[in-house]
Amino acid sequence: MIARARQLLPVARLFLTGNRPMLLSGLLLSAATALSGVALLGLSGWFITATAIAGLSVATALAFDVFAPSAGIRFLALARTAARYGERLTTHDATLGVLAELRERLFRGWARAGVAGELAKRPARLLFRLTLDIDSLDSLYLRVAVPIAAALAVALTSGVALALVHPVLGAVTAIFLVVVGTGIPIAAAVAARRPARRRAYALEILRSRVIDLIAGQTEWIMAGQLADRQGELGAVDRYLSDSDDALNRIETMTSIAFGAAGALLLSAVLVAMGLLAGQGMFAAPVAALALLIALAALDPFAALRRGSVELGRTLLAVRRIAPRLEAAAPAPGIAPPPPGIAACLADVTVRHSGARAPILHAISLSIRAGERVAVIGPSGAGKSTLLALIAGEIGAETGQVACRSATLFTQRTELFQDCLRDNLRLADPQADDRRLWEALDAAGLRRDVDAMAHGLDTRLGEGGYGLSGGQARRLALARLLLRDTPLWLLDEPTEGLDGATARDVLARIMARAAGRTIVVATHIRREAENADRLVILNKGTITAVIGRGEPGFVAALAALRPD
Amino acid sequence: MIGAGTINMRSGSGTPPAASCPSASARTGSTSLADEGLSDDRPKRSARTLLGPALQVAASLLWIPQAALISLSVGDIAAGGDIDAVLINAGGVLALGIVRAVVDALGGRVAYRQARALLSHHRRDALATLAARSPLDAGRPGSGLAASTLGEQAEAIVPYLARFQPARLRASIVPLAILGCVFVWSWVAALVLLIAAPLIPIFMALIGWRAKAASEAQLVELGGMNAFLLDRLRGLATIRSLDAVDLTANRLRTDAESLRTRTMAVLRIAFLSSAVLELFAALGVAMVAVYVGFHLLGQLPFGAWGSKLSLSEGLFILLLAPAFFEPLRDLSAVWHDRAAGEAALEALQRLAQKGERLPGAADGASADKPSSLAPLSVRVENLRFRHAGQRAPVFDGFGLTVAAGEHVALLGPSGTGKSTLLALLAGLSLPESGRIVIAGETLTDRNASLLRRRIAWIGQTPHVFAGTLAGNVSLGRSDVGRAAIQSALQSVGLEEVAARRGAVPVGENGVGLSGGEASRLALARVAVAPQTGLVLVDEPTAHLDTRTAAAIADALIALARGRTLIVATHDPVLAARMDRIVRLAPSPLEDAA
Repeated sequence: MIARARQLLPVARLFLTGNRPMLLSGLLLSAATALSGVALLGLSGWFITATAIAGLSVATALAFDVFAPSAGIRFLALARTAARYGERLTTHDATLGVLAELRERLFRGWARAGVAGELAKRPARLLFRLTLDIDSLDSLYLRVAVPIAAALAVALTSGVALALVHPVLGAVTAIFLVVVGTGIPIAAAVAARRPARRRAYALEILRSRVIDLIAGQTEWIMAGQLADRQGELGAVDRYLSDSDDALNRIETMTSIAFGAAGALLLSAVLVAMGLLAGQGMFAAPVAALALLIALAALDPFAALRRGSVELGRTLLAVRRIAPRLEAAAPAPGIAPPPPGIAACLADVTVRHSGARAPILHAISLSIRAGERVAVIGPSGAGKSTLLALIAGEIGAETGQVACRSATLFTQRTELFQDCLRDNLRLADPQADDRRLWEALDAAGLRRDVDAMAHGLDTRLGEGGYGLSGGQARRLALARLLLRDTPLWLLDEPTEGLDGATARDVLARIMARAAGRTIVVATHIRREAENADRLVILNKGTITAVIGRGEPGFVAALAALRPD
Repeated sequence: MIGAGTINMRSGSGTPPAASCPSASARTGSTSLADEGLSDDRPKRSARTLLGPALQVAASLLWIPQAALISLSVGDIAAGGDIDAVLINAGGVLALGIVRAVVDALGGRVAYRQARALLSHHRRDALATLAARSPLDAGRPGSGLAASTLGEQAEAIVPYLARFQPARLRASIVPLAILGCVFVWSWVAALVLLIAAPLIPIFMALIGWRAKAASEAQLVELGGMNAFLLDRLRGLATIRSLDAVDLTANRLRTDAESLRTRTMAVLRIAFLSSAVLELFAALGVAMVAVYVGFHLLGQLPFGAWGSKLSLSEGLFILLLAPAFFEPLRDLSAVWHDRAAGEAALEALQRLAQKGERLPGAADGASADKPSSLAPLSVRVENLRFRHAGQRAPVFDGFGLTVAAGEHVALLGPSGTGKSTLLALLAGLSLPESGRIVIAGETLTDRNASLLRRRIAWIGQTPHVFAGTLAGNVSLGRSDVGRAAIQSALQSVGLEEVAARRGAVPVGENGVGLSGGEASRLALARVAVAPQTGLVLVDEPTAHLDTRTAAAIADALIALARGRTLIVATHDPVLAARMDRIVRLAPSPLEDAA
């Protein structure tokens, strides 16, 4: 219980910092809206009853002050509208503010070294989950906090108003409102917790199964499993439908409970009025006022219905998002190597979390500053892992790592939905257009960009859509060339490019690499040809390190894949 | 709120987002798509689909007798009256209230169940159509699009059908009924309501028109914020390696803040339209209250058909006034359900559009295994094939004969149709003309499914499903046991990887497997199915290092021993290891077409 409450803290803090005045005024305005609604109805009832009684004789009719109450009625009608308008503006503004901060904090949370790898393993599923989680978080304020504020304000005020008629009546009404009005949503939230979670999971499963069905359609067809997979998806939808149905049943029961409680309150106040009036304790207009207040008082609580049924889903989102919002522990930081050395690994072992065998085992390697090293070996040998280790992306289970600051040229070209300029400036935010053009020129992309109608302002689609594979790789290269780190780590830099383009890209990298240390992971001959040393990796261990000119160097190169 | 939601328990669900701003222009729009969608599936809108909304209308109308009992009681109390009558009335109010709550909830439940059933129906339909499309059909929707349409987007149908449609029916019946009741007692009060109600759409239209376009654009941008975050998270490895985490985070923040400013500028107008609705509803109630009050005082003696209203009658009119506006406000609160629901129905119908059909798609899986384990012969005669929507045929007059047990390499530059030929041999699509004869049987729509069971196929990029390695090998085939999976993993050299991974699942799209491991996995899938006499393989060694490529070729040849093997490849080393090489040249007719 305490652990669960603690999980709420980072999210609660998110709501409370920064936007507090706006969030609070949203709550106040929502209370004002509800109050003026109840007051409008109550005052109208009182007014009509009072005028009816006064109108019975001409004398009382003339003496009756009509203007104050009728002005009050009109004022409340206007005040209610204004408060509602203000409430909607402030609550939305506040929510947008929180969401803006949430997105930034979430990004920072996911960008931490250890976590980023987790995201890379199941990108589609985790990212999908993340969008739904973000979307369900605003429910916490809009559909829980705001209605609660309005409802409690109305319960309190109604209690006070009725207490003026009779103290016991006021107290009982207020207690009834608070207990029943919050009790029903709480019961609904508790009952809905499991189905709401099951629904969220089922939707994820449905989604990933659809992806598997479509993307792997040929595999299923040839295995004769297509019909079975369709049937399985039908079963997932039935499961989803069952959870939906359970939630709807809870919502239906909540509706009935609120309806019945409202009717009970109304008839109870009616009986009380009848009894009290029989004792001659007050005049009829007060009875009308009390009845109309009773009629309207439970209404704000009913607005909690949706928030309470969704609460299970919202708390699930909170639980998943909260760890990403915790203040980041300072990264351990990689120790600097001794002078003259660019990277130094001593007896390092790396293991994927949960895996039985390590992916890198007892690796010791020292790379001199200015050296060109090629890490070669069959696929799955651990080449990319070794680069990630040097780049500080993953930590070592045992052993010591000391490296200069490095830039990793990733195997997959990752470009962003943004203009070319901002895609480039990720590498160097201070770079002006002249420097960007220079980098494009060095990457062999100047002519292509020159030919684009918008030049550096050309917008790229998702994943760099709009560029050819070669252009995208060159753009990534331009970004690398803008990086002024002493160590460049290249992970299969020309994979997927045709021979001529690949050689051109490699030549351009080498032309700008003077004074830098370069480590390239590859299984293609052309990428290893410039190396001073070959590090041969097999099944996670270094089996040989061969310098240029040493026996075996040429043979090792020759064993690599030609273009 | 005025009009106490007690009048309708379905109201007041928090603050609807910007898109909900009710706009008369949208209401008077053309035929609703959902109606068409419904009528497609169900020829007539049966009484059953109207049951839920009708129950909710009835529940709303039950407020009228309840209000009558309340006002009668106040009249009794004012008259110093008799407690027994009040008690009886109170009992009536309670009973009616409970009945009303139950009937309303029941109506909602019925409407919900129908809507949910329709969602399942649409999902099943779209999936069945998608699954029955040939993999060679380039117009097939991508898996990401299909997943988001069938998953979260399709969900929008339920609130649309279960909330919006009933709300629309209520808004068109309940106000009229209440107006009638008020009219019976006082034509002036009825007139006040009548004037306030039509003014609502006029004013809302004026404000809404401008706001609608702007807010829709804004919503797209709001969705764009999520897209921006996801886009950057997808490229996190690059952002981290470029040391651009701070830069990107700050950019996210400033973009979100500027979007917030712009969104609020739009919302200020958009919310005005709902404020107008609120204002007229509130003023309507206030005017009725003030009129009745002045009337009862005798200062406005007209309006009640020549007589003077009693206290109970006046109070009754007052109690009905908010209920007159309530359905309109409910409708505006669920307005955004409509746009989302219609978009979802449209998207689902697009997914369910038929395309090029997979031969034998209608045949379910039958349990009987092919008895013969013999290698299959293949003969292609006078083949002509064209991709849908393309004028030039890939093949025209193509012929090929492969003896049973023969190993053949298809060699040729890309674009000569190697992959297409393999797909045609696998019965994934039927030729325009000519014949494909496998083991003496001409491949047709009727026997495609049966023949496929004797053919194994390895695509260029084998799809790796999120799950365990073993599950990826068995592919859910019930006849593939644990021992078979183990020996298959061993035969393709994956046993070490399997042991190293333990129970750690393979990620989406094979994350965590190297290219070579994915190729081996595809081989293992074939190895567990010994009944296949023909093995079709597309580019098994592309993008692999020499050593891995050689190992894969070894495994493949071992696997194909005693079976017919056709391999499409660029790799001369692999091609040389086959019995025969068939060179595919670009079709001479390609330019003529």
